Amino acid sequence: MNRLAKFSYLTAIYCFFYFPIIILIVYSFNNSTYSSLWHGFTLDWYKQLGDDTDLAVVALHSLEVSVLAATLATCIGTLAATCLYRYLFFGKKLLHGLMFVLIVSPDIVMGISLLILFFLIKMQLGFWSLLISHITFCIPFVAVTVYSRLTGLDKNIFEAARDLGASDFMSFRRIIIPMLWPAILAGWLLSFTLSLDDVIISFFVTGPDFQILPLYIYSLVRIGLKPELNALCSVMFAITLCIVVVFQLVLRNKEVE
Amino acid sequence: MRLLIVYFCYFIPLVLKNVRFSQQPGERYIHSHDGRKRSFRTAIQGENHDSPLENPHRDKKALQNAFRILKFVGYISLFFNSAAWAQDNVVNVYNWSSYISSDVLKEFTQETGIKVNYATYDSNETMYAKLKANPTSGYDIVVPSTYFVDRMRKQGMLQPLDKAKLSNFKYLNPALLNKAYDPDNRYSIPYFWSVTGIAVNTHYHALSEVQNWADFWKPEYRKQLLLLDDMHEVFSIALLVLGYSPNDGNPEHIRQAYLKLRQLMPNVRLFNADGVKSLFIDEDLTLGMGWNGDIYQAAQENSGIQFVYPKDGFVVSIDSMAIPIGATHLNNAYRFINFILRPDIAKKISLATGYASPNEGAVKLMPKSILSNPMIYPAQSILKRSVVQADVGDAESIYQKYWELLKIGG
Amino acid sequence: MKADRLFKWTNIATIWLWLSLFALLPIILVLITSCLENDPVHLVRWQFTLENYRALINPIYFKVFWHSFCIAGLCTLICLCLGFPFAYLLARMQSKYKSLLLFLVIIPFWTSSLIRTYAIISILKAKGLLNTVLLSLGIIHKPLSILYTPSAVIIGLVYSLLPFMILPLYANIEKLDIRFIDAARDLGANTITIFARVILPLTLSGIVGGIVLVFLPAMSMFYIPDILGGAKSLLVGNLIQNEFLSAHNWPLGSAVSMVLTISMGLLLLIYRRADKIGQQHESISEI
Repeated sequence: MNRLAKFSYLTAIYCFFYFPIIILIVYSFNNSTYSSLWHGFTLDWYKQLGDDTDLAVVALHSLEVSVLAATLATCIGTLAATCLYRYLFFGKKLLHGLMFVLIVSPDIVMGISLLILFFLIKMQLGFWSLLISHITFCIPFVAVTVYSRLTGLDKNIFEAARDLGASDFMSFRRIIIPMLWPAILAGWLLSFTLSLDDVIISFFVTGPDFQILPLYIYSLVRIGLKPELNALCSVMFAITLCIVVVFQLVLRNKEVE
Repeated sequence: MRLLIVYFCYFIPLVLKNVRFSQQPGERYIHSHDGRKRSFRTAIQGENHDSPLENPHRDKKALQNAFRILKFVGYISLFFNSAAWAQDNVVNVYNWSSYISSDVLKEFTQETGIKVNYATYDSNETMYAKLKANPTSGYDIVVPSTYFVDRMRKQGMLQPLDKAKLSNFKYLNPALLNKAYDPDNRYSIPYFWSVTGIAVNTHYHALSEVQNWADFWKPEYRKQLLLLDDMHEVFSIALLVLGYSPNDGNPEHIRQAYLKLRQLMPNVRLFNADGVKSLFIDEDLTLGMGWNGDIYQAAQENSGIQFVYPKDGFVVSIDSMAIPIGATHLNNAYRFINFILRPDIAKKISLATGYASPNEGAVKLMPKSILSNPMIYPAQSILKRSVVQADVGDAESIYQKYWELLKIGG
Repeated sequence: MKADRLFKWTNIATIWLWLSLFALLPIILVLITSCLENDPVHLVRWQFTLENYRALINPIYFKVFWHSFCIAGLCTLICLCLGFPFAYLLARMQSKYKSLLLFLVIIPFWTSSLIRTYAIISILKAKGLLNTVLLSLGIIHKPLSILYTPSAVIIGLVYSLLPFMILPLYANIEKLDIRFIDAARDLGANTITIFARVILPLTLSGIVGGIVLVFLPAMSMFYIPDILGGAKSLLVGNLIQNEFLSAHNWPLGSAVSMVLTISMGLLLLIYRRADKIGQQHESISEI
């Protein structure tokens, strides 16, 4: 198979991926409301975006939930991974299985199951229900990331630490966390992105007084195309890009060390 | 308390990042020239000046840095959260989409200082399901249609209204008050009355071809129709074509309507209720059902769009503001309703949305061109063909069953 | 030692508590709700019934499942056909830009699929880019109405899920030992035989992993058919959403979810078997 065919195939797929997004970004600078033709460069839509206080509140909500959920999920997930790695306890296999089920379970089933739970305990849907749901679905991803890195560690270190008199907690704090911090950070970034972009689960468990960004975009998309929405999506894409760059740098750092 | 948790959570990753030791025994990778990784194991590093035993100040410094960053972060979040702390001076409004103009909301906030959390829905069923699933949902105002006001008040989902708090109630048109669906308007205040008719883009279809609902069944409209995603609206088309009332509760009639709609399905391209305006403006769809206000707004942007009052009859619906049981900001809700009832505000929203206002005071202030626009204010002769939507009582579940079969039957 | 035990048990207790409360319990609740009766006023009536499952044995629900299956299957097939060559080419590359190219694949994977779906709308609309270009070039005379048809749903699903197919395939193909292909070539096999007899079995677990990662979301993502699809594109995810939020028939919705979960479970079993087969092949290769 000659080089040209390979090269053109790769390029075609990359174009397929990026073309719609680039069009979106280009249109966000287009000086026209409805037309597809280029009418001139403008930053109006971004200005409108900046002036939109509703949107700022919604974005802040989203950020709040995502940061909190990512952090708490990272804590619990790291602990979970450590436990699964180091200890033998009753129901370990079940926990493993549960984690697996959580990862592959369709989002929609998770969303409705949490809705039923909140309905049953008569909890008002809003910030807390959203936070709990996000933490729950982020935990397995963090646990898997940290666990896979844990298995790459040399078991002798723990033995050495034990010999030197370190307690479990101390070895956790002084050995595991420092050695795994790239994986922990990767887990944090992963849960942050998952939480920020989640539509399906949030759709079912959020309340009226706590609107988040993906649902806001979803309702706007259903109503129709708006240039302000183009600007918003471009900004979101830029944020994701930054996160991915950081993620890759972190991974590369880990390799170089 | 949320602020504390936010602080706590910002703290942890920062501390973890700072308090780290560079002794990293274990696998190490290097990149050789051809880009492939080679790994070799190293034992615990020998000389290490970064261990805490040799450098006790490192811990302290790291913690100090963490605290500095924490303070900085704290100030920023305080700044952002101060707006969020004014949570109590809000009113949560749940309304149909495209049913108000954002200028009016801004004006309300300017005048009263109460912030409006505005959420939208595209069908009564969605709003009803949300309130049912979450009785303490926190919505202060909802805007159900006539038959839903009827059903919701019978099920005790709405609060009786204290008219004394609504000084602008007197501006409402008495002809639209005290109807069967809500005697004495104990639970609802009319917001808009709307008409469902045929929307057509005359650049693609001749106006004379689509004067009746029955025209929808023509084979040349295969895969071209837009139907509203509203159970009663869609069934009313079939019922009117078959000669029955849109509020028919007879199971046999409903079944016939279902079968008639099954025949229509090949012509249906999309069920949509909240994006109708932009679908018509952008000419993604050129023929279908629509509410007169939506089509009026669309016609402002696309000159080809026209609204037709079908000759075989059509449905009129009155949407009313109501306060659900779980409302948390009662006073703010009353102030909002009273604000909407003000003639100049009612006029503003009517002009912006193209729907007819039940507010007599507002109608007096409207320009002649609007009052004579048949799209918004149809003549009496046309209104004679209309039927006001009413609750169908127990037949509701029969409708539900057939509606679902229709939609998933595809 | 006491501190040790305290640490250990607090950890285990936290995790167990959280997961059983918010992961295990909800799933059990779904199972229970699917066996309850629907009540139009109070949402559920506490009465055991299998009526919901019986109601699902209706040709119309079969049609929805079958339709979802077909669309998800078609989407998976397209993703596989597009993704496998791509992952293969990328994994075998020796260029110094390899990591950059991989990075360029990861970016769409991390971008919200909602935004990417929205990006497609502006291209496929009647007045969108595709139609404008085709009309101005004279290739068509009336705008193509692709949006709000099943084709648009498939395009949207493929667009969203292709990275999910590429990444597991890439990870798997990268581990492929090129010596096998060399050996097969030495033994005189032509390209097709090499592909069918050597490459496919060795990458089977990657393929199945990719299929699982694409097929399940394709069945259950409801917002893509909701945004891009028309009246005929109701998938299982939309059905569940409809039951819970519009028809508010929670028991029926739960029953549909249980069926979806069980079919997902079956698929995963197939995945594990394929994985085992793949591992067998790999263990043979490590001789």
